[in-house]
Amino acid sequence: MAALVEMKQITKVYPNGVVANKGVDFSVEQGEIHALVGENGAGKSTLMKILYGLEAPTHGEIWLRGRRVEIPNPHRAIELGIGMVHQNFMLVPSFTIAENIVLGSEPRKGRFIDRAQAIAVTEELSKTYGLQVDPTARIEATPVGMRQRVEILKTLYRGADLLILDEPTAVLTPQETDELFMAIRTLVNQGKTVIFITHKLVEVKEISDRVTVMRHGEVTGRVATRDVTEADIARMMVGRAVFLQIDKPPVQRGRVVAEVRNLGYVAETGRPVLRNVNFSVHAGEILGVAGVEGNGQTELVEVMTGLRPATTGEILVDGKPVQRQSPRRIRLSGVAHIPEDRLTNGVALDATIAENLVVDRYNRPPFTQRGVLSPQVIRKHAETLMQQFDIRAAGPDALMRSLSGGNMQKVIVAREFSAEPVLLIAAQPTRGVDIGATEFVHTQLVTKRNEGKAVLLVSADLAEVMSLADRIAVMYKGEIVAILDNGPELTEEEIGLYMLGVRRQEVVTKAA
Amino acid sequence: MNMKGMTKFVEPVRIIAVVLIALAIGFVITALVSKEPVQAYTALLTGPLPRLSFENGFEIKNINRFGNWLEESTTLILLGLAVSIVFRARQFSLGAEGQMLLGALMTAVIALKLSLPFPAHMLLALAAAMIIGFLWGLIPGLLKAYLSVDEIVSTLMLNVIALQLFDLLLFNWLRDPAAGFVGTVPFPTSAVLPLLIPGTRVSFMTILMLIAVVVVWFLMARTPFGFELKMLGANRKFAEYGGINTKRVIALSMAVSGILAGLAGAHLSMGLLKRLTINLSPGLGFEGIVVALLARNDPRWVLLAGLFYGYLRTGAQIMERSSDVTREVVLIIQAIIILLITAERLFPFVQQWVQLRRSREEVVVEAG
Amino acid sequence: MSLEVVLQSIFSAAFIATVIRVATPLILPAMGGLLSDLGGVINIALEGIMLAAAFTGVIVSGFAPQWFPGAPAWSYPWLGALAGVLVGMAMGWLIAFFHLELKTDIILTGLAMNILASGATVFLMFSFTGDKGSTSTLASARLPSLQIPFVNNVPVLGTLLNGENGTGYNIMSYLAFALVAVIWIFLYRTPAGAHLRATGEMPDAAQSVGIDIRRVRYQALVASGFCAALGGLYLSMGYLSIFQANMTAGRGFIALAVIFLGNRNPIGALIAALIFGTASALGTRLGTMAIPPQFVEMIPPAVTIAALIIYNIRRRARINAAARRFQEQTAP
Repeated sequence: MAALVEMKQITKVYPNGVVANKGVDFSVEQGEIHALVGENGAGKSTLMKILYGLEAPTHGEIWLRGRRVEIPNPHRAIELGIGMVHQNFMLVPSFTIAENIVLGSEPRKGRFIDRAQAIAVTEELSKTYGLQVDPTARIEATPVGMRQRVEILKTLYRGADLLILDEPTAVLTPQETDELFMAIRTLVNQGKTVIFITHKLVEVKEISDRVTVMRHGEVTGRVATRDVTEADIARMMVGRAVFLQIDKPPVQRGRVVAEVRNLGYVAETGRPVLRNVNFSVHAGEILGVAGVEGNGQTELVEVMTGLRPATTGEILVDGKPVQRQSPRRIRLSGVAHIPEDRLTNGVALDATIAENLVVDRYNRPPFTQRGVLSPQVIRKHAETLMQQFDIRAAGPDALMRSLSGGNMQKVIVAREFSAEPVLLIAAQPTRGVDIGATEFVHTQLVTKRNEGKAVLLVSADLAEVMSLADRIAVMYKGEIVAILDNGPELTEEEIGLYMLGVRRQEVVTKAA
Repeated sequence: MNMKGMTKFVEPVRIIAVVLIALAIGFVITALVSKEPVQAYTALLTGPLPRLSFENGFEIKNINRFGNWLEESTTLILLGLAVSIVFRARQFSLGAEGQMLLGALMTAVIALKLSLPFPAHMLLALAAAMIIGFLWGLIPGLLKAYLSVDEIVSTLMLNVIALQLFDLLLFNWLRDPAAGFVGTVPFPTSAVLPLLIPGTRVSFMTILMLIAVVVVWFLMARTPFGFELKMLGANRKFAEYGGINTKRVIALSMAVSGILAGLAGAHLSMGLLKRLTINLSPGLGFEGIVVALLARNDPRWVLLAGLFYGYLRTGAQIMERSSDVTREVVLIIQAIIILLITAERLFPFVQQWVQLRRSREEVVVEAG
Repeated sequence: MSLEVVLQSIFSAAFIATVIRVATPLILPAMGGLLSDLGGVINIALEGIMLAAAFTGVIVSGFAPQWFPGAPAWSYPWLGALAGVLVGMAMGWLIAFFHLELKTDIILTGLAMNILASGATVFLMFSFTGDKGSTSTLASARLPSLQIPFVNNVPVLGTLLNGENGTGYNIMSYLAFALVAVIWIFLYRTPAGAHLRATGEMPDAAQSVGIDIRRVRYQALVASGFCAALGGLYLSMGYLSIFQANMTAGRGFIALAVIFLGNRNPIGALIAALIFGTASALGTRLGTMAIPPQFVEMIPPAVTIAALIIYNIRRRARINAAARRFQEQTAP
């Protein structure tokens, strides 16, 4: 087989100094399904953005069908027969499916859009590749699985021979995933080539012919899928034993600190996101929440911290109900929160470090006394925390914007830990931060647990949950489908079965 | 120099550069239409200064021009403070115009329909202007906070309603039928702001304005509410996450801003005109924006920016009287300042353009 | 006057003719604002663009005999209109340039344009005519009205189709209605219209299929300048035949409200503009009957605010209803 695409010695350095790709060689053969795997931040998305013309490489060459090509923009990529399905869909909600598929290269009748032709083309493509869609339905009224099929059809309509699918299963139900895999096989049978970005090893085994593994911007493995096991791939991805070595004394479970009863939440769109969620967190333990992203973990955390109102049910902290209360009231009852997306709500980039560190306490003594705010005290407070949590910055008055990702996360950790909470909710606490900061955060979480605090750890990184948690609650489709004791006998595979909805505990105990 | 030192140094330079560029463009425009552009621009730039004269012993001439400058600046600084409060919270309230009109309207109602002794009458009128400003700002604030109604649209509409209310009461209730124009009778002296500098119209409001600068500075820099304003402006979601009641802050920011706009209105009626007239000062409410932008929403700089812009406006009036150029040239300068000062990428863009030119020239050289 | 007379006057053909005249300078800028708004670049400088175009049209048509001595007299209004339209398009382009290249805030840029227009028109009016209030000393041209033949003898129809004095509506009124249809077809039936809507609604999606969103936005703002300029020209060369300082009197802002009330589509905006026109015309009629016209003038802005409130309350009600359904389902 001939190489369809060859990317040679690709290096990408972002203006802020982050090196996303370091001398990456990557090749895909005609007619194969090629999995590109790696953890979040390994550089796989950047590599594909370069191939699709969304990012310019700092160094390196791209060869397509034996010829060197420049791909300065997606337009050129499309001309070259490259199509990309992005993780967040690039569809216009108020347009119909047919309108979305032909957008940008509409069939014309004179000066007008040939709408009948657009529908006919959609139907034909849909039939050829076995991707069922309703051409006249509006995107805003169609389910996620269909939207993804629309995205694939869009690239096919534009004559793509090479399809890049960026984590296509992240938002799909297992059934939808099966359908997608069937469609991918049909595509390959019709002569297309597919690059499949994922970090789910099960899928790699199931669908791909070959796999390229990336870690920290470099390629760490390039193998035929049938020659390796999932564990082999995992080793290449992580580069160390999957389980982090964290010294943890045996759990000393204390009283129930937080209790969640029959919690339900309906999103603004009317879609139920959380159903009948029950669990409790004890003093001195870390309760991990595992699950494929998008199964309600984000909303669970936001409901518990007051950023979204619970629709049904109760949340008790130290026996007192806090559901539907303001974030401030919930914080005052002893809840601290490391948010999932720090740039959205964890920090204010245009405020100083000192200001970021007091956003939850500026109105209390010693920061405010008799109604007057003291900048000196706020500054002193920042100096102390910066030293204690090893935050590297020019000083307390430096803008948050000037900090690296790891140091930003340390600011958040410093603020939330120094709030002396009884319940600490940490959502994806190490996402996108360097190894040093990751270890720091992990140690801090275990320290809090050992001090007798209750910790709720939500993470998409199963290894992280399994290394840190004392018990693991698994979420699937907005429900807790299992609460498992973490120990040597608990395997990744077993949790995986719950995460994928294959298995569920009959009775999820109310206050285990 | 570290990052922060750099920005501290660069910002004022950038602002001054913008002002100079705008003045230069203004001069070019003046030169295009005027027969005596230098004379006109000299009047614009030096007119408001009082002249010291030693001809008949020591004497200060043109004190009234100096007075005009202070009067203009007083109104502008109040409006600038009003705008800087909402802008700091990143609320695009454009309601100062309406709040100012209603502030002036309320002073007329109190001044003409009640009779009270001096300080009480004046203070009551001022309070009424502040209260109506607060309420007229609270409306779009509440609508934005609790019903997500876009504040740009709602404040623009409320401006229209305020103007109609103003005309309605003026025409049907407050108007002096004997006057040759649409306006009220002069306010009783008990409701007029006491004069500060004889020979001018500089009044007690200038002192109130200085107090307002200090109060707003204190509010922003030394109170929890000021901290909340800043966090709301920096990142609303972050403020919410931190426990700040952002809805309350949104509503209050617009309302508090209204107090100052209301005072600006009171200054027009109780200090400058000493009555109410139709077409009080169309568009003046928007002038606070340029002041707030020049001051980067910092009350201390609002004082300076207001004095600068007031100087320019006064100079423009003098220029109009003493040359063939109308005062509206400052509106052109103002527009240019707004355009240039909000152009984040102005200097990088110029750099890029120069580079492009240079590389093109090189290409030409190579080709030739 | 009795109520009967009021009603009679409202439902008369003459009244409808007034409504059309009052609505024309709202429809035109609203169509412009709609184009830029759908492209994701709100243009709050409609007011300033109208003002600048109104002024330019009057000045150029008034000075045309001197500036273009060879041109025939019939061409004067058209020269004025052409110049006005060019000025409007140039202002639209300037907003696009500042916003898209120099990354200024689009609201503040629009405001700056409004300030620029209100200053520059008076400034230039004075240097051209020596007057700061209006161009009444200048003999400027009027854009023609179109009379529909043969209907003037038919009682109601004549007034309806050709106005009270039977001379027909100004050409800009016809243009306004035609523009609504053209823009509707453009938006919903042509590729460029689809690209514009996609650019506004989901810029990333548009970009990902190779649509040059920067170019689309440039075009949208220039087009909005074009439409707003027509509205301004109508005011100074149709509705009146002089330019007065600040003669747009907030119509550019009302046009923005018209867009929102019209649910951001051309037909909706047309209806909203006609409703506003009716309120305005009513204000003038009622003004003659001791009902202060200011009351009626408050209706359009008040309706706009009310509409925004109702929209959000209904959205909230939908969310609550979904929540209630969920509670009922999950109730034990």
